Amino acid sequence: MSQPAGIPYNTLVVAAAVAAVGFAAGVIGSFGVLRRRALVSDAAAHATLAGVVAAFLATGRRDLPTLLAGAFAAAVLALGGLVVIRRFTRTRDDAATAIVLGVSFGLGIALLAGISARGIPGAGGLEHFLLGHTAALTAGDATALAAAAALAVLIVWLGLKEATLVAFDPAFAAATGWPVALIDYALVTLMAAMVVVGLPAAGAVLVTALVVIPPVTARLWTERVATMVPLAGAIGLVAAVGGVATSNAVPRLPTGPTIVLVAAGVFSLSFFVAPRRGWFARRRAAVDAARALAERLRAAAAGEQTAPDPRGA
Amino acid sequence: MSAAAPALELHDVTVAYGRRPVLWNVDLSVDAPGLFGIIGPNGAGKSTLLKAALGLVPLAGGTVRFFGRPLAEVRGRIGYVPQRETVDWDFPVSVLDVVLMGTYGGLGWFRRPGAAQREAARAALDRVGLADLAGRQIGRLSGGQQQRVFLARALVQAADLYLLDEPLAGVDARSQDRIFRVLDELRSEGRLVVVVHHDLRTAAEWFDGVALVDMRLVAAGPVAAVLTPENLHRTYAGHLDVLDELGRAVERGGRTS
Repeated sequence: MSQPAGIPYNTLVVAAAVAAVGFAAGVIGSFGVLRRRALVSDAAAHATLAGVVAAFLATGRRDLPTLLAGAFAAAVLALGGLVVIRRFTRTRDDAATAIVLGVSFGLGIALLAGISARGIPGAGGLEHFLLGHTAALTAGDATALAAAAALAVLIVWLGLKEATLVAFDPAFAAATGWPVALIDYALVTLMAAMVVVGLPAAGAVLVTALVVIPPVTARLWTERVATMVPLAGAIGLVAAVGGVATSNAVPRLPTGPTIVLVAAGVFSLSFFVAPRRGWFARRRAAVDAARALAERLRAAAAGEQTAPDPRGA
Repeated sequence: MSAAAPALELHDVTVAYGRRPVLWNVDLSVDAPGLFGIIGPNGAGKSTLLKAALGLVPLAGGTVRFFGRPLAEVRGRIGYVPQRETVDWDFPVSVLDVVLMGTYGGLGWFRRPGAAQREAARAALDRVGLADLAGRQIGRLSGGQQQRVFLARALVQAADLYLLDEPLAGVDARSQDRIFRVLDELRSEGRLVVVVHHDLRTAAEWFDGVALVDMRLVAAGPVAAVLTPENLHRTYAGHLDVLDELGRAVERGGRTS
C-alpha cells in the first residue's frame, strides 16, 4: 500500500483528507455548540459503532462506504430515539441523551465482542472505529471523506445566516416565518454526517471532541460568528493533522486520542492567553476595575465636598 | 391603515400547555393606529397571548387574523420583540448583526444582507440611540441597551403592527424613555403597537387602549373604561398585595414618580 521512500502518495492523500475532515468538524461543530447540541452529537457518535458492525453483519462487506452508511443510519436512529424519548416520556434532555448514548454504545460493543468471539472471518479492523485509525485508509476512501467534508462545509456556508438566526433567537426566527424545526433537523443531520465522516480519523468514542473542542476554543478568540466558524475549522484542521502525524510516529497509538490531545492543547493555551475571554485578560480586567474603584473611593474620601459622579456607582 | 378589518383580531382563542390551559376563549380586536397594552398578573398568559397570535405556541382553539388575513399572508407586516431573557447574550454577534436579523425575513433563503440592509439597520440603531455601539458584542450592553437592540431589530422589519413582549422589564429610566418615544412615533406613523406590560402604574398614562388578562380576557377597550376598580379587582383577585398597591396608584390617577 505504501512505498518505502519519502512520504508515500497514499499518506499525503490521507493527510489532506484528515485536514478537510478536521476543518469541517470545526465548522459544523460551531453551530452544534452555539445551538447547544454538543451532547446530542456525542450520542450520535457513540451509536455509530453499532451501525458499523451491523452493516458488516448484514452485508458481509467491510469497505468504508458500506460501514459508514451503517454508521450514519445508526446515528440517525439514535437521534430519532432521542426525539421519541423526549416526546413520549418526561425525561429531560441530558438524561435522554445519556440513555441513548449508553444503550447504543453498549449495543455496539456487544456486537463487536460477539463477532470476535465467533471468529467471523473478515471482521478484523472493525475495532479501529472505536478509537480511530487512519493508516488503513486507501486513497479512494480518503478522497471520498474529503469530498463529504467539503460538501458539509459548503452547506453550512450557504446557510450561515439561517443557522446563526436559529441558534441565536429561535422564537424571533419562527415569528418571522423561518421553519425553525426544519433548520434544526438539517443542522442535527449535518452533525450526524460529520460525526460519521470523522469516524475513521477519531473513532466513535472521541469524534465528538473533534466537533466540540475547536468551536469552544475559537469562541475564546472572537466575538463574531463569521470569524468563529472558519477559526474553529482551522483549529480542527490543526488538531486532526497534528493528531494523525503524532499517531503515525508512535506504533499502535490510535489517532482519536492524539487528535483530542492536540485539540485540548490548543484549547488550554487559548484558555490562558486569548484576548478578553482568556484567563490572563480577565484577571487583568478585574485588577484594573478594582484599582479604578479604589481610586474613586480614595478621591471621594479625600474631598467630601466634590460633586458626586453623575454616572452613579 | 384604512382597511376595514382590524389590525389584530383574536376570536375565541384558547391555548393549553400540555393539559394545562393557560388562556381561555379570548376575543380581542384592536385597530391601528394605537398603543395598546396587555396587562395582567404574573402567569396570567400575557406573553402566551402574543406567542399564540404569532403561531409560536399552538392554538387549542380559535382563530387569529392580522389585517383580516391569516398570519402566513401578512408576516412581513408584523414586527416582534421577544422577551430579552429568551436569548443568550453571550452569543458571538455584534449589535449590528442582531439588528440585521430583522431584514432576514425579507431577504429569504441564502441571500446575505447587503449595503441597503446595513444602512437600514444603522438607521434603526440611530433611532433607538445606539448608533455608536453598532460594533459591540451584545453581552457588553446594559439591559436597557439590549432591549433597545431588540426594538431596533423590529424597526428594520418596517412592519405595520408591532408585538412587544415586556419591552420595559428591567430597563433603566433612560432606555425606558427612549423606547417609549419610539413606540409613540410608531403610533403617530399610523401603526399599531401591542405591548405586554406588567406595570399597571405606567399603563394608564402610556396606552390608548388596554386588555386586562388573567387566563381569560377580563376587559378590553379604552384605558378609562377598562382600568376601573372592579375590573382590576377581577384581574388581580388572587394577588392582593399587587391590588393594594394598585388601589393607591389608581387613586393618584395612575401617575407615580
